[in-house]
Amino acid sequence: MRHYLQLLFFGFLFTSPFALGASPQSSNDTHEYFLSNGLKLIIREDHRAPTVAHMVWYRAGSMDEFNGTTGVAHVLEHMMFKGTDKVKAGEFSRLVAAEGGRENAFTTRDYTAFFQQVEKTKLNKVMELEADRMVHLNFDDAEFAKEIQVVMEERRLRTEDNPDSLLNESLMATAFMSSPYRHPVIGWMNDLINMKASDARQWYQYWYAPNNATVVISGDVDPEKTYRLVEKYYGGIQAHALPVRKPQIEPEQKGVKQVHVKAPADGAQLVMVWKVPRLQPDGINNDEPYALELLAAVLDGYDNARLNRTLVKQERLADNVDAQYDMISRGPALFIVGVDLAKGKTVAQAEAGIRKTLAEVADKGVLDSELKRIQIRLLSNQVYKRDSIFGQAMEIGGFEMAGFSWKDLDTVLERMQKITPAQVQAVAKKYLVDTTLTIAILDPQARQSTKAEAQK
Amino acid sequence: MKTDFKPLILSALMALALISSVQAALPIEQLDSFHGAKGYLVQTKTLPMLDIEISIDAGSRYDPSAKSGLASLTGALLNKGIRSSKGALTEDQIADQVADLGADLSVGVTGERALIRIRCLSRSDIRDRAVGLARQILSNPSYEPAVLNREKQRISAGLLEAETKPDFVLERRFKKAVYGDYPLGNAMTVKSIAALTASELKQFHQQFYRSDRVIVSMVGDISRAEAQEMMQTLVKDLPATGSAIPPLPELFRSPIESTADREIQIPFDSQQAHIAMGMTAIARNNPDYFPLMVGNYALGGGGFVSRLMNEVREKRGLAYSAFSYFAPGQDNGIFQAGLQTKNDQASMALDVMTETIAQFIAKGPTQSELDAAKANLANGFPLRIDNNRKLLDNVSSIAWNGLPLNTLDTWTEQVNAVTRDQIETAFQKYLAMDRMKIVVLGAKQ
Repeated sequence: MRHYLQLLFFGFLFTSPFALGASPQSSNDTHEYFLSNGLKLIIREDHRAPTVAHMVWYRAGSMDEFNGTTGVAHVLEHMMFKGTDKVKAGEFSRLVAAEGGRENAFTTRDYTAFFQQVEKTKLNKVMELEADRMVHLNFDDAEFAKEIQVVMEERRLRTEDNPDSLLNESLMATAFMSSPYRHPVIGWMNDLINMKASDARQWYQYWYAPNNATVVISGDVDPEKTYRLVEKYYGGIQAHALPVRKPQIEPEQKGVKQVHVKAPADGAQLVMVWKVPRLQPDGINNDEPYALELLAAVLDGYDNARLNRTLVKQERLADNVDAQYDMISRGPALFIVGVDLAKGKTVAQAEAGIRKTLAEVADKGVLDSELKRIQIRLLSNQVYKRDSIFGQAMEIGGFEMAGFSWKDLDTVLERMQKITPAQVQAVAKKYLVDTTLTIAILDPQARQSTKAEAQK
Repeated sequence: MKTDFKPLILSALMALALISSVQAALPIEQLDSFHGAKGYLVQTKTLPMLDIEISIDAGSRYDPSAKSGLASLTGALLNKGIRSSKGALTEDQIADQVADLGADLSVGVTGERALIRIRCLSRSDIRDRAVGLARQILSNPSYEPAVLNREKQRISAGLLEAETKPDFVLERRFKKAVYGDYPLGNAMTVKSIAALTASELKQFHQQFYRSDRVIVSMVGDISRAEAQEMMQTLVKDLPATGSAIPPLPELFRSPIESTADREIQIPFDSQQAHIAMGMTAIARNNPDYFPLMVGNYALGGGGFVSRLMNEVREKRGLAYSAFSYFAPGQDNGIFQAGLQTKNDQASMALDVMTETIAQFIAKGPTQSELDAAKANLANGFPLRIDNNRKLLDNVSSIAWNGLPLNTLDTWTEQVNAVTRDQIETAFQKYLAMDRMKIVVLGAKQ
């Protein structure tokens, strides 16, 4: 299935309609500390294996960028591997690798994060390296000139030659007029062409500070000893004032918007997105976001969920379907429904099919058994999630970056279990309406150079 | 049986907890063979969950010529309807039951095997129902023509879509170039899919889905006795044997050829050129596996610290990624290297890649590259086995490739024993530049 909300990763992708939830013993095995320089530290103990995940999350993503230098958050993520006074360009990865570590980084609209996974006795080494580059990053113009070429290749690979990404890019830029969510995380190509080393350095000076960072460590660690290690390496770094974040609130949408994208592809795609509320850190008891999460799962949370059952299996309007909503974000939330059209079907037919499926939920509601199925899934996921040390750190970090506390994870899970069919029906009726709807259509164009080899 | 293994596991767990540098893996237990099926178990008690992988020797390599896609579709339809003398379930009912259990159940087919994967809570009522369902899926798929038709339409649409994507087109042409007439050289096409019938799928299922072609791997919170029983349940409705299956053709070493014969240019109006280079190499149980694996870490498997990435990306900014890998299995797998770069840099990038690989084959890694590779692989070993999912992958691979059950225990030792000479000798034995197929897809400059 396609991923409409773009996350840019160095090496991997993750997605889940249930990206939330609490661990059964989360209050006993999770520990929170604040350093005097404003750095927040969260430690999740998991003693299943002698490994540890170490992550630093900076609360600065593409939503903090301005027009003309879009993509700079991600460019700086790349430059973070280009050296400090002590560690020259390229050495960071070599030193982590020598410890047997796996490392990477990723940038999203909301944050930028760096991580290493290591055998537990190597934690101090990677922590020393990560703390060093929080304050001593020191790349030269020649390194920048090479790396911006790499980023442009990344954009060619992931976006320019990828119709799904092109469609998503236009969709976001159409749905949002003013919110910085309208810009792609990797940046517009023209901004990359004109990016200067000084833009990246300034970004670093603005946002890379202990008072804008959260360190999350999960794995086979002793919390008190680990806290002292964090104090040792990160504690001496000075806090500094962060730039004022202006609200940049998206104006209210007044009616349907539509965008057509012509790109090399074989089949048409249709994506419909609605502006919907997100969960607010001070509104954790508001049930609407939970009901929207469950609505997305009723539509596309398992093999026989409604969209797949009706549009793919029964009516043959689509070959693939997708419904997504993520209630945890810093910026505005969207409820997304997308389909790959089946051969011979028109966009109008597909749109009518989606509308009919959604109208059924809004008019007749969902079954108790459907909702139970989703809620059971959420509970068993709590156990499955514990299988991954890395996944646990990811969950905590993502939650913290959106302004929540990991302590809220329990509440979120509890409230999801209490949502009723009537509440799911109510949000479908209230929010999936035309005034906030944006429609994006991929109009497939033949590639001139290839002739349907699959038909041979 | 259960208690026999307790002390072993307890000591292993304590070792993991107390000695930080310990690299011992939990023991892999071999279950008693049942109707020819093999079973393997790693007991992990810390989470109340269970992961199962059922491997069936029924991969795409058994596709008859002109019937590419037969093995894939036979596997893909396993969970889309079942029917037996005991009853029937539609695909919707199967999906609802899996969801009601809070379980994951997926099916898939690779070149070598068909796979059913299950993840569920280990509570006995839940796992019994999940295993019961999996048993029916494995043994009694109904192959409804209407469902087959729909899946054929979906797969065809997916193929035509993939046809517009540079990475897919490159990969298919590269596989054809390297595998030649070996069945894995033939990818499924809209035409080959269209011709497949429900009775052909049933026949393929009957011929290849037999208990003597099944391996069940399990990791999770169950006892050996429970695992033994579940493994028997899973396969007991399958035929135990069947008529002889003709042997696969041999996969020969890629021949020495002139550059013109080895190189394929595919015009493609993408912004980037995609390049693949490689040849047939080794099976997983080859004694030279470790020298090749450690060597490849230094060449193109080690991400940012590999020589290919360093030459192509770090020094020259030519590509976002550049890599190489060996893909060994039961059969001789291939060696493959690749990158993507903007069209006007394609020939420069190909030169850099060729030169880098050639030099590595000629001279092997430097001592410091070898030390770095060993340091990463050995120090990083705990990360290969630190959760149930990764353990399952390891158990299943060990079982499928017929490796010794102590493979994980000796893994680090084997990595550390590799010398520069062994790498150089092994690379020269299995790879050669004048045997490498090269496919370049993109706008010609």
